[in-house]
Amino acid sequence: MAIDCEDQELLEGFLAETTELLEKLDDDLVTLEKSPEDAELMNRIFRSIHTVKGASSFLGFDLLVKVTHKTEDVLNRLRKAELILSSEIMDVILEAVDLVKTLVSDIKGGDIVERELESTIAKLIPFLSESATEATVLAPVFASLQEEKSKAAPTLPGEKPQEALPQVSPPPIRLKEPAPEKAPLPRAPAAKGEELADNSTVRVDVKRLDDLMNQVGELVLERNRMIQLHSDYQFGVDPAGFSDDFGKLSKRMNFVTSELQTQVLKMRMLPVEKVFKKFPRIVRNLARDLGKEVDLQIIGEETELDRSVVDEIGDPLIHLIRNALDHGLEMPDERLAAGKTRCGTVVLSAAHEGNQIVISIKDNGRGIDPDRVSRKALEKGLITEEQLAVMGNREILDLLFLPGFSTKEQATDLSGRGVGMDVVRTNIRKLNGIIEIKNEIGRGSEFILKLPLTLAIIQSLLVEVEREVYSIPLASVIETMRVNQEEFHVVGGQEVLKLRDSVLPLLRLQRVFACAETGADRRTCYVVIVGVAEKRVGLVVTRLLGQQEVAIKSLGKFLANLPGIGGSTIMGDGRVALIVDPMGLIGGGEAAGVRKTA
Amino acid sequence: MQTALKLKGEEYGGELIQLVSFNLEQEEYGINVLMVREIIRMLNITRVPNTPAYVEGVINLRGKVIPIISLRRKFDLAEAEYDKRTRIMVMEVVGEMMGFIVDEVSEVIRISEKEIQPPPPVVSSGIEQECMAGVINQADRLLVLLDLERMFSADERRMFSNVA
Repeated sequence: MAIDCEDQELLEGFLAETTELLEKLDDDLVTLEKSPEDAELMNRIFRSIHTVKGASSFLGFDLLVKVTHKTEDVLNRLRKAELILSSEIMDVILEAVDLVKTLVSDIKGGDIVERELESTIAKLIPFLSESATEATVLAPVFASLQEEKSKAAPTLPGEKPQEALPQVSPPPIRLKEPAPEKAPLPRAPAAKGEELADNSTVRVDVKRLDDLMNQVGELVLERNRMIQLHSDYQFGVDPAGFSDDFGKLSKRMNFVTSELQTQVLKMRMLPVEKVFKKFPRIVRNLARDLGKEVDLQIIGEETELDRSVVDEIGDPLIHLIRNALDHGLEMPDERLAAGKTRCGTVVLSAAHEGNQIVISIKDNGRGIDPDRVSRKALEKGLITEEQLAVMGNREILDLLFLPGFSTKEQATDLSGRGVGMDVVRTNIRKLNGIIEIKNEIGRGSEFILKLPLTLAIIQSLLVEVEREVYSIPLASVIETMRVNQEEFHVVGGQEVLKLRDSVLPLLRLQRVFACAETGADRRTCYVVIVGVAEKRVGLVVTRLLGQQEVAIKSLGKFLANLPGIGGSTIMGDGRVALIVDPMGLIGGGEAAGVRKTA
Repeated sequence: MQTALKLKGEEYGGELIQLVSFNLEQEEYGINVLMVREIIRMLNITRVPNTPAYVEGVINLRGKVIPIISLRRKFDLAEAEYDKRTRIMVMEVVGEMMGFIVDEVSEVIRISEKEIQPPPPVVSSGIEQECMAGVINQADRLLVLLDLERMFSADERRMFSNVA
C-alpha cells in the first residue's frame, strides 16, 4: 500500500518531528526507569507519545495510531500512579516504541507494510486492566515470550528489526516454564536509531545563519576594497602606499575567511549527543542480559563534531561499550569480593582538544590482562612465539584489534566472534583517527579515540621528499624528529628506529612513492611519526616545510584508491600537492613486506 | 561510435562534424570537438606515485584537480621534450575530466561524415589501433579519428579504481 498523502510537506514535517521525538523518547524512558518519581519527565514522555498519536491520526496512519494509543493508555495509568513502573512494563513500552519506529521508517520508506501489531499490543493490554497494579505477576509469561523471541530471531547487529518482528507472533498468553529474564531485542535500538536518523537535511540555528550572512557581508566589503585598491594602483594613485594597504587588506581577508570557515564548519556540526543518547538504553539492556549492575555516566554530550564523523562513530562506540560491560566489568559479587562497589561504572565522555575531538570510554572493571591476551593470540594462531617475544605491553594490547581475536571460549550472541574491535579499528581508520588504550589491571581500562573535527578542511604537515611536496594530515602526526640516518637499525629486513622504550618501524616515503633520487645522500633526515588507529609508524622524509590548513580535493575516479595517497590539495602557488594517507600507507607497507619475503 | 558521431553531427546540421586536429609525432589526429572542454598550455604537473607510466600526474584546473595523461606514452611513442607548442587538451572521458598532452593543436576542421573511412585492417593491434574510430583521407592529408573512450579498456578502468 503506497502512501497516499496529499500534502508532501505535511508528511515531511510529520516525519522529521516524529523522528526527533522518538529519538528523545528512548533516552527519556530509560531515565524514567531510574527515577520513576520524576513527574515532569513522565509528562514529557506522555506528551511525546500523544503528539505522535495525534499527528498520525490526522494523517491517517491507522497502524501507528493503534500502537501509540495503547502505549499512551499504559503511560497514562503510570502517570496517574495507578500502575507502578517496573522493568517489565518498561520492556513492553520500549518494545512498543520500537514498533512505532519501525512503522515510521516504513512510512519514510514510502510504503506502508502490514505489520504484526497484535503481539505487542496484547502485551500492553494486561497493564490496562484495573487489577494490573501488580505487574510482576505477569513477568514470567513475558519473560518466556521474550525468550522465545530471542530464540526465534537471534538478532545480529546488522539485522533489520523489521525482519525480526513479524516472526514473533506467538499467542499472547502461553504458559511455559519461567525462563530467565531476557531483555527484548538487545541490539535492535542501535540499528533502528540509525535508520531513523535523517542526516540528509540540516536544521541550522537562525543565529548561526545570521552570523554567516554577516561574515559574507564582510567578505563582500573586503572584495570591494580589493577592487578599489587595484584600480587605484593602475591609475598610479600613491603606488608607494600600495604595499602597505595590500598588506592590511590581506590580513583582513585572512581574518574574514577564517571566520567564515569556522561558521560554515559549525553548521555542519552536530552535538555528539545524537550518538550518545541511544547508549543509556543499550547499556540498560546489556546490563540486564549480563546480570551486572552498571552506572553509565555521560560527560560532554554537547560537544559538537562534523556530521560525517557523527555518522561513523556510532558503531565503534557501541562495540567499545559492549566490551566494557561484557569483558571489563565484573559480576556484582566479584566486585564486592575485590573490595569495589557492587555497581560498576562506565564513563563515556567527549571533549574538544585543539583540532581534535577526544572520546573516551572508561570502566572501573578488571582491566585487560596482557598475559591472557597474548596467550589467546598464540592459541588462535594470530601471532608466533617469536613475534610475541619482542612485543612490549603496548603491542600486546594492540592484538585486541586483530580480526578473529577474542578471549571468549565460546561465541555468545553478545561477543566472542572477534569482529567488534576490528569494526572499531576500521571505522576509526576511515576517520583518520587514533586509538589509545590506558589499562590498569584490577582497576579498569580506558579506550581513547582521537578524531579530527572535520574531514573537508584539515590541518596538515607539509613535507618534502626528494623535491616533491607531500602533505600529511596533522591529526595522524604524533611527533616529528630530526634523526641521523646512522641511528636506523635493521630488524628482519625492516628498518626501525629505537624511540624511547618502543621500536618504531620506518617507511621511506621516497621508496614508497618511487621519487627520483636527487643524488645528495643526506646523513640527517626527518622522521614523522604517524599513528593510525592503534599502530605507529615513522615516515622518513627529506625536510619539513611547515604546517598549513588545506582543503581536500578528490583525485577523481581514475586515480582513486592509490595506495598511500588520500587525495590532493592546492597550494598557495597553485600547484597540486598530494595528501598522504597514513592508513593506506601502513597497510601498503605491510603488503610490500609480505611480497619481499615471498 | 559511428552512430554516436552521426547523432552529434546531426545536431550541427546535416552530416558535417567538427574535429579538433592535433599532432603527435608528425601524425595528425582528430577528435570530435564536442568532447573537448578546453585546450591549455603546459603547466606544472604534480607527479602521482604508483600509477601507470602514461599518467603524467595531476594539475590544478581552476580549483579542480584533474589527471593528466601523456598520449605519447599511452601510444608507445618516443618521449619528446615539452616545448612552447605542447598543449593539454582537457576532455571529458567516461564521465571524468582528464587532460591529454599532445605535441601541438593545429585547427578545427569540418568534415562530412562520408569522408570517414573505417580504420584499415592491420597486423599489429596496439592501443593506438584500439582507439582508432576511422581514417579521414583529405587530398594531401591523412587524419586519424580517435575515440578516447576506447582508450581505457574495461579492465584498465577497473584497475584505475582498484589499485591496491
